Amino acid sequence: MAGRALISGPNFSGRSAALMGLLRDGALAPESFYIGPYSEAALSGLTSTIADEIDIYRATTAPRTPRPAFSPLDFSAVGRREPQTLSGGEQVLLALHCFSLSGYGALAIDTALEQLDRANRAAALDYLDPRNETIEAVALIDNRLVPPLAGWRATERAADPAAFACDPRRPVAALSRREAPAIEIRGLCFGYRRGTDIFRAVDLTLQGGTAYRLAGPNGAGKTTLLKLLVGVLAPGAGEIRLGGERYRPWRSGNRAIALATQNPDHQWCGATLRDDLDRRRAAFAGHVPAEALSDARIATLAAALGIASLDAHLYELPLAARKRLSWYWPLSGALPWVMLDEPSLGQDMATRERLAAAIGDLTARGYGVLFVTHDDDFADRIPHRALAIGGMQVKAT
Amino acid sequence: MTPNGAFAVGFVLIALAASNPGPRGLALLGALVLAFALIELRGATVIALRRAAVVVLPLAVFMGLVWVGFVGKAPYQIASATAGTRDAALAYVATLSGRLFLIVVVAQLVVLRFRALTPLQLIRALALPASAKRVLVVTLSLIATLRHAIDRAHTALIAAGTLTRAASLRNLLHGWRLMQAVWLSAITIMLGRMRDKWPVENTIARLDRALASGEARPFAGADRIWLPVVLGAGLLILLADRVGGAP
Repeated sequence: MAGRALISGPNFSGRSAALMGLLRDGALAPESFYIGPYSEAALSGLTSTIADEIDIYRATTAPRTPRPAFSPLDFSAVGRREPQTLSGGEQVLLALHCFSLSGYGALAIDTALEQLDRANRAAALDYLDPRNETIEAVALIDNRLVPPLAGWRATERAADPAAFACDPRRPVAALSRREAPAIEIRGLCFGYRRGTDIFRAVDLTLQGGTAYRLAGPNGAGKTTLLKLLVGVLAPGAGEIRLGGERYRPWRSGNRAIALATQNPDHQWCGATLRDDLDRRRAAFAGHVPAEALSDARIATLAAALGIASLDAHLYELPLAARKRLSWYWPLSGALPWVMLDEPSLGQDMATRERLAAAIGDLTARGYGVLFVTHDDDFADRIPHRALAIGGMQVKAT
Repeated sequence: MTPNGAFAVGFVLIALAASNPGPRGLALLGALVLAFALIELRGATVIALRRAAVVVLPLAVFMGLVWVGFVGKAPYQIASATAGTRDAALAYVATLSGRLFLIVVVAQLVVLRFRALTPLQLIRALALPASAKRVLVVTLSLIATLRHAIDRAHTALIAAGTLTRAASLRNLLHGWRLMQAVWLSAITIMLGRMRDKWPVENTIARLDRALASGEARPFAGADRIWLPVVLGAGLLILLADRVGGAP
């Protein structure tokens, strides 16, 4: 039976370092394919088209054991697109596809499968199953897989309880109540290219004081909807109303929604937490009470998320810690609506439970929450209404 | 035609445009570029012309305003301290804009000639040393990384309320912050690849193998017609304004 290793344990227990150690020692195979948590560590970055990305990895000589291709998406149909234009989950599927065509004997995955929707995740795990002997070895870190798994050798690593201790419930408990205005979307249309609509005449109302889970397959447009609501993208047609008033954040600027992005590095506005905070304070001066964003208050919030100082250099923090810190803006209470894109990615069970409780508490305090996740267990811990995205529509289910 | 032939033809045409041909030479060069475009690209010629116009037209208008509107004489008239005329300034701007237009058109034609190929396929087909091909791929990769970093930083600053998607006073005041965010993003993206992905996978060696696969023919087919034609025509273009007196 081919080798399969599941490296489990909480965050900051050295799982990623252990995985890298296996790879650098050649313990899995002389050369291994690596899929890291986000696109910069999942794709080669050497190509500007999907076809070229596949081309680089396609084996120039036949592998010892012919391997079936892993092709959950028709990549040939989008071969001309830039790999970076794929959604996070689609990029992971592309990386798996490249591996399946390559001559690498082994594969190492660091939490990347957490970005896949239910069907794609099941297909990926099935492909990596020990019965697939065309893959010599797989080493996997995944916060949602609980050992034992048949055929997988589990290595449980011990936590360092002092490292980045995080409890997002505490700062939320300190927030006062506020009434988030309703967001009404009427006739919203959007497409990145002419003739390829992502949304067509979407009607949707989001009430304050409620948590909504936005679910849908990889590449359906979940992140796109969040980008439209914060003004990063402008709709082709339709309108958004906030508290009954016309709201056009792509023109007037975002004034209502605190977004935590899927990849935390897509949201920083500075090199340190203080830089980031200063810029947000400047942008929202007059719209948010100054005391809500005081140094003392944000320092307390950051400490609750595991970061001891406002002068912490964001890019020097471990990825899991950056992800936790990315919640600071939504949890600061500065804005009435909170939008979280895959907030539980890369987080251990204990942190996911605490975050779910914090989100539930936010809605109880009148904030509106829209969150995207493929993690059913995490979503089930939050009282929420489900929204399904698909067929160019967003519908309550 | 091979990519090598197209690049060689493109190089000669651009060198001719840069060699300061007179009006006759410029007209001949224009005819040669048009013939190359219509024979090798047919309908796609319009795309190259349109893109070149978009690039050069604003520049031509600006130069016209400066040289014809404000200065009122051509640079050679200033250098020789003779009385200048707006007609001469207009002729100077028209010639310079025409040469720039041809250069951009030729660059577009060469790329469009192989639009059916992906960037990697095009570079693979070039008869260049492996190290030169690698430099080309990494350069394109850096450009793509910067574009990706700009997208990331733009997203961050708009979501944070610092910038707006549409033009605004806020963008004027805070646009400089985009620069820092872009550089930080670009560095993070590069580090992410170079620290983990590339050393583990030996990705650059993969790239070398991908670039080495397939045969890069130096010159073949229509190259053997176009290269002598362009070189011969080049000689005519260089001589056109030196014989037969001023046009």
